[in-house]
Amino acid sequence: MPTIPQARLRNFSIIAHVDHGKSTLADRILEMTHAIDARQMTSQVLDSMDLEREKGITIKARAVRLDYLARDGQHYGLNLIDTPGHVDFSYEVSRSLQACEGAILVVDAAQGIEAQTLANVHLALAQGLVIVPVINKIDLPSAQPEVVMDELESVLAIPREEVICVSAKEGTNIDLVLEAVVARVPPPKGDPDAPLQGLIFDSHYDAYKGVVAYVRLAAGTLHKHENIRLMASGAESEILELGVFLPQPAPVPTLVAGEVGYVATGLKSVRDCQVGDTLTVAARPADHALPGYKLAKPLVFAGIYPMQGEDYGELREALEKLHLNDASISYQPESSVALGFGFRCGFLGLLHMEIIQERLEREFALELIASAPSVEYAVTLTNGRGEVRVDNPSRLPPAGDIEVISEPWVKASVVTPSQYIGTLIELSTSHRGTFDTLEYLDAQRVLITFELPLAEIIVDYYDQLKSRSQGYASLDHEPIGYRPGQLVKLDVMVAGEPVDALSLIVHRDRVQSTGRNLVEKLKELIPRQMFEVPVQAAVGSNVIARETIRAMRKNVLAKCYGGDITRKRKLLEKQKEGKQRMKRVGSVEIPQEAFLAVLRSGEAT
Amino acid sequence: MVAVPRALYVHIPFCLSLCPYCDFVVLAGRAARGPASRVAETVRALHVELDLRADALAAAGVEAAPLASVYLGGGTPSLLSAEQVDGLLDHAARRFGLASDAEVTIEVNPGPADRGDLAGFRAAGVNRVSIGAQSLDAEVLAHLGRRHRPEDVADTVAAARAAGFANSNLDLLYDVPGQTPESWQRTLTGAVELDPTHVSAYALTLDDPEAEGLTGPVGDHLPVTPGARKWRSRARDGQDEDRAADEYATACASLAAAGYRHYELSNWARPGSESRHNLAYWRRDAHEALGPGAHAFDGVSVRRWNAARLDAYLAALLPAEGVAPCLPPGGTDRIDAETARSEAAILGLRLDDGITAESAAEPVVAAGIAWALAAGLAERIEREGPRIALTPRGRLLSNEVFVRLLPDADAV
Repeated sequence: MPTIPQARLRNFSIIAHVDHGKSTLADRILEMTHAIDARQMTSQVLDSMDLEREKGITIKARAVRLDYLARDGQHYGLNLIDTPGHVDFSYEVSRSLQACEGAILVVDAAQGIEAQTLANVHLALAQGLVIVPVINKIDLPSAQPEVVMDELESVLAIPREEVICVSAKEGTNIDLVLEAVVARVPPPKGDPDAPLQGLIFDSHYDAYKGVVAYVRLAAGTLHKHENIRLMASGAESEILELGVFLPQPAPVPTLVAGEVGYVATGLKSVRDCQVGDTLTVAARPADHALPGYKLAKPLVFAGIYPMQGEDYGELREALEKLHLNDASISYQPESSVALGFGFRCGFLGLLHMEIIQERLEREFALELIASAPSVEYAVTLTNGRGEVRVDNPSRLPPAGDIEVISEPWVKASVVTPSQYIGTLIELSTSHRGTFDTLEYLDAQRVLITFELPLAEIIVDYYDQLKSRSQGYASLDHEPIGYRPGQLVKLDVMVAGEPVDALSLIVHRDRVQSTGRNLVEKLKELIPRQMFEVPVQAAVGSNVIARETIRAMRKNVLAKCYGGDITRKRKLLEKQKEGKQRMKRVGSVEIPQEAFLAVLRSGEAT
Repeated sequence: MVAVPRALYVHIPFCLSLCPYCDFVVLAGRAARGPASRVAETVRALHVELDLRADALAAAGVEAAPLASVYLGGGTPSLLSAEQVDGLLDHAARRFGLASDAEVTIEVNPGPADRGDLAGFRAAGVNRVSIGAQSLDAEVLAHLGRRHRPEDVADTVAAARAAGFANSNLDLLYDVPGQTPESWQRTLTGAVELDPTHVSAYALTLDDPEAEGLTGPVGDHLPVTPGARKWRSRARDGQDEDRAADEYATACASLAAAGYRHYELSNWARPGSESRHNLAYWRRDAHEALGPGAHAFDGVSVRRWNAARLDAYLAALLPAEGVAPCLPPGGTDRIDAETARSEAAILGLRLDDGITAESAAEPVVAAGIAWALAAGLAERIEREGPRIALTPRGRLLSNEVFVRLLPDADAV
């Protein structure tokens, strides 16, 4: 691979709202620069996990080094850094952007600007990136590039002359995009002789090479025989391999300031080498780290339990393996009377939770049951005994010990066609939100901002936003800190025994209806037992809803002749298996499906 | 070592029309009557099977002992002619022997078209009729898809009596969608007025043999028709556990008051008129069986059945000229000693006599029995020694007891 001087390097990302065609554009760019033969191209090369391809989103960032022969006759080294396209991963996006000087902004010609478009552009501008605006999908009959140009101009002050209209699907005008990257995105700066500062913008765990860090060098030169140090974690190691992705890994002897590549560290866990940390050389360390590092912090928590109790060990191993690759997951053993042994897991958001759960089920063949997701509450104790953090409603201290419960709030940005303004404001206020601002993006579309408790978003706000706007509204949100709330713990009791897995922290105004829904649902789902079973919802010792499951009166009185004997025995054997799979709360047998149904239904929370 | 079969079941797989709730092996319509009827052919095949089964028993060294009961079930065996019934009984008597006091039952549909030649059956040696009355309420009968009217039941009972039958059974169904407690009470009262010697009352049971894996090529059930499947799923919604329990209690009270002994979960009889044939099943006595879908038991460890498909049955038994007939396709189920003890307890507890305290102490069932005693579902009784029997509540919840009497899966 030819060495390319810093002046002819371009480091850039592609930012877009989900489904606006980021990955397809990346594929075309890879083809154009011959990184990939069109024939061996599997669609969306950068998304290497099956799940990413299925969900049409990019979960982990990837970086590819491209050789581009520009119209000026010169070879340029283009580093394309892919970014995750979901709000759950906005910290990762910001670190990827920090590794770049420019960003291609992709906007769908039919959809226009969406909530995440705005969020991502603001992140890019905050990093001082040059934006190369691209309107994609101009091949669609519903494409309205002129309208989208108006939006870009009025909302983001992007002059229409700068906008490039492309069809990534059909390969139209991709060359113009690459030319614009070369012409508009500035080359990286950074003194090759200074002490080394490399930004970790992604990493993955490899069974042979340990943690492989994706790094953008801001200053200095890294040689393959050097020992490295991570400035935040303090971890040190010998470099096992230094290289760039073409997109297959290609070892190189050195990486120079401005370049993007990978370092195989031999480290045993991505915890030692987290996104945002600064890589330096142990022998001649930089005197300060690059700005912006923070530990990825879970925002959403849920209990994850194996359906079969004996799979607990396998679940633990699977979580350990995933955690090697994804430091943002947290997991702590917990046990539940109803669900047995499992783990309290923390995730960046609901999508992240869904992805991890699916990976556990798919890659490790586990059958799982997850409790209702919860946020982390800050509980101030009485008599100045300080504050505790609670991410599991059943662990909330007794009401008498609680001075106040605070919960995380977010600022939510919603982009929607204007006819849904009314219903979405109604939706937000009914989810304890307060309306903040409303701004017209064009004649038909508006940006509305609200402040909402995060707990409301993770319950059903997003689904309802989509259904009330017939799929047109988009959502982005960012944390704005903790606020005290009128929150209480709602317990569910079956035959007088609390069912820990169903405890919830609920706003006082909602507790009555939530409690009623829960007991009614459980009454339907719990089969009749040998005795009468009361199902109650209670706040402290105060029962707010009650249903009674009457005692079972009949369990089959049928004929039993010669041909029925074997058949009946087999049916009984099946019943017996079913009984053995049931979870026991006190003396009540509850089928796992009943928990699943309650936990999956929106009404549970 | 196997036991001598003292009971013979013969399955006649034809009805004039199919009832949507019925799970037995039955063909209806053109197969049951008219020029394309397959009845005669099937009867010929039954004769061939009878010989082959008798030969097989003889070859296995099982000594012949006269049959104590023969049961012609179906289907609607009353669709057979008296000659056909006579031929089968005569053949069975020749090959197995038939005790002079044997109970010989034929199932009869009450409709005038399928009631059959009752006097002829009696003359052929049948001495008990089992009448598929189901209900004495026209609406309930219509709901069940039955062809007959309530008054046909009384007519059939009268005709049987006139033909010289001293023993008769009425089959009744409860927990039928749309059935009111009053309707059920009227049916019971009406049934008692007809004065049969035996009454069977079953809660309508809507199973899915396909889901149970019983409808394959060698399965003992035929696939459920789409219409019946739809009917069952709708009917299930119209069933009600509480009504069923109430109706069972009504049946217990009415029949006890009329002097019937509640000798099995769903069966009542005048003392001395208990069905000997069915008792053979509940007591795990050996029984032989003929016909598609029929089940036999060697009395010890093997249950075997014929496949339900009539074509395969006929092809095996009535092959082309010059080819020797062979036994029809089917399957067997081997019962290990522990499962046999569990089975014996489950079947025995269906009876009012229950099981001996000794068999209730067998390790495989002891814990389940102790649970049932503690839960008030079983009780100790004294009947020629200490025994355990179900209580009235235990009868209603019998599956709760039975499921606890099964061997542990890993022990099997």
